[in-house]
Amino acid sequence: MRVVIAEDAAMMREGLSRLLTDRGHEVCAAVGDGDALLAAVAEHRPEVTVVDIRMPPTHTDEGLRAALELRRRHPGTGVLVFSQYIETRYASELLAGGAAGVGYLLKDRVADVAEFAEALVRVAAGGTALDPEVVSQLLAGRQPGVAALTARERDVLTLMAEGRSNAGIGRAIFLSTGAVEKHVASIFGKLGLPPSENDNRRVLAVLRYLGAC
Amino acid sequence: MDQAGQSRAIGRRVLTAPLSGRARREAVFALASLPIGFGFLGLALGGAFAIATAAGPAPDSAPWTAIWIPVAALLLLILAVAAARPLGGVIRGLAARLLDEKVSAPTALLTRSGLPARPGNPGWLAAQLTDGSGWRATAYLLLKFPVALLELYAIAWWATGIADVTYPFWWGLMRNHPPGVHLSPVPVFTPFGLSGTGTFQVATFPGTLAALAAGAGMVLAAPWVTRAVVSVDRWLIRVLLGPRTMAQRVRDLEQTRAMAVNDSAAVLRQVERNLHDGAQIRLATLAMNLGMAREKLDPDGAPADLVAVRELVDAAHQSAKDALGELRELARGIHPPVLDNGLADALATLVAGSAIPVTLTTSIARRPSAAIESIAYFCVAELLANAVKHSGADTITVDASEQGPALRLTVNDDGRGGADPRGSGLTGLSERISTVDGHMELSSPAGGPTRIRIDLPLQA
Repeated sequence: MRVVIAEDAAMMREGLSRLLTDRGHEVCAAVGDGDALLAAVAEHRPEVTVVDIRMPPTHTDEGLRAALELRRRHPGTGVLVFSQYIETRYASELLAGGAAGVGYLLKDRVADVAEFAEALVRVAAGGTALDPEVVSQLLAGRQPGVAALTARERDVLTLMAEGRSNAGIGRAIFLSTGAVEKHVASIFGKLGLPPSENDNRRVLAVLRYLGAC
Repeated sequence: MDQAGQSRAIGRRVLTAPLSGRARREAVFALASLPIGFGFLGLALGGAFAIATAAGPAPDSAPWTAIWIPVAALLLLILAVAAARPLGGVIRGLAARLLDEKVSAPTALLTRSGLPARPGNPGWLAAQLTDGSGWRATAYLLLKFPVALLELYAIAWWATGIADVTYPFWWGLMRNHPPGVHLSPVPVFTPFGLSGTGTFQVATFPGTLAALAAGAGMVLAAPWVTRAVVSVDRWLIRVLLGPRTMAQRVRDLEQTRAMAVNDSAAVLRQVERNLHDGAQIRLATLAMNLGMAREKLDPDGAPADLVAVRELVDAAHQSAKDALGELRELARGIHPPVLDNGLADALATLVAGSAIPVTLTTSIARRPSAAIESIAYFCVAELLANAVKHSGADTITVDASEQGPALRLTVNDDGRGGADPRGSGLTGLSERISTVDGHMELSSPAGGPTRIRIDLPLQA
């Protein structure tokens, strides 16, 4: 997998490069700001990018701006935004154009190397990887519909929104795939969403409903 | 005390009044403040007259006068208001020393952004023209003119009284002409007749005794005349040269409070930024390195690559140490623990770490409040950092000393000068200082040296 990294802290940038290289991915470029990111993506056409939100020159949200621009210019390239804080507004902006090929994780998540790498692969493949924090914040913003869900259904919805498949959800909370499917059907019933056969589309639907998009 | 005793006491007081220190000091004040009273109005009228004369009788013939006359008048006005403040300060100083009339100075004149209002700092003109204290000082100086006339009159009581008392003593020396020589009578001046032939004339020695009596009476009365006139001046000084009125003070406080709030918000933002870019990133990297190391040690996987693991653990170890160091620096930046031992110790520690040698002197007998110590410490820290960064100086001197109710900090260096008072660092300092009614003076001509003086109240 070909990756471009945009992160202004050199230490973190090198660490990430090493992590991904170790796992057999190719880091085409590791840059320190948004403009360099756009240039590097145009040049290397990677499958996925890892983008820090706060970068020079203003250290506010230029990473996010660059990520949004990237989504517009190169819709096929996955964008994994990562940051030390989760801001609901950023998540909403990022997901506004659809959840395919989008990720938003806390930087802390790189500590779990395997999960982080999996999330990146998922985003590269057009999937979604949302931090549990993002999901819980988005859910919190939509209490009326979500209030009807049982605790278990909410767990399932949270994992689903993070971008996991039914099988993945089942593994995470020790349920059979069949049981997960039942919960999912129930969730869609309560949220008033028509059932669909496509897992990915279900995630998108959930995210849309959550007000992220 | 019986009635006779009371009368004796009053009598003694009347007789000794001319010799009392208070009478002497009030007379000296009246005399010493005269030049300012006459000079200010004189210069103002002179300036106005010069402008009026230069304007000429036919303004139609030279339309450009319509432009420069108002400009000149405005300049004169600015000059008058700007000069009124320091002149008021001179009067205040005389009053404090001679009249024991201690009127505190109005707060230093600052621009909207908290810089001293001097030409060169943005907004100084607006600050100068809207300076309530300056206008009140101007009012004082204009009112001082009639008061100064009265003070001059009071001085005349002293002068003529003392002169008249001497008549009998020189009469014999001057009037020893042979009999038959016609001598004109000598005029005796009193405050009731100060010109020409005087109030009355004496032609004989017994007549001089009348002059003596009149002189003695005037000398006895002079202290009270002086006191009456000077008390009017005292009142004007208190009302017009003192600190601003309550409403202006409230406006000042509103402004400095806004600065204080913004300053603390900026400090918090800086702390967040430092955490975000420093310790947090190091800890995240550390966690990542440990995560990678753990993967390599995973018993399910291939045999562990110990060299790689060691590298990762080394990197994590280094990150942990760096994060500790950064957290320590950050904590110290919020509140240096050594400040608890007093400003002198804290400054000693601070200058010891300076890249340019610093000579430090401190004389602080009364301990300032914690907020003042903290502001003083960070001011010096910032100024030292600036000097190291920009001045190219060989030596820096720092002095912190008590000056009356103020703590005075001076930071001087022998570098290349050219420090910009509008730079964000110095503006920030100046704002922080003005939140406690402090004041900063900067002199940094191109080519150096740079001298910075900061006055802070001891308590805030």
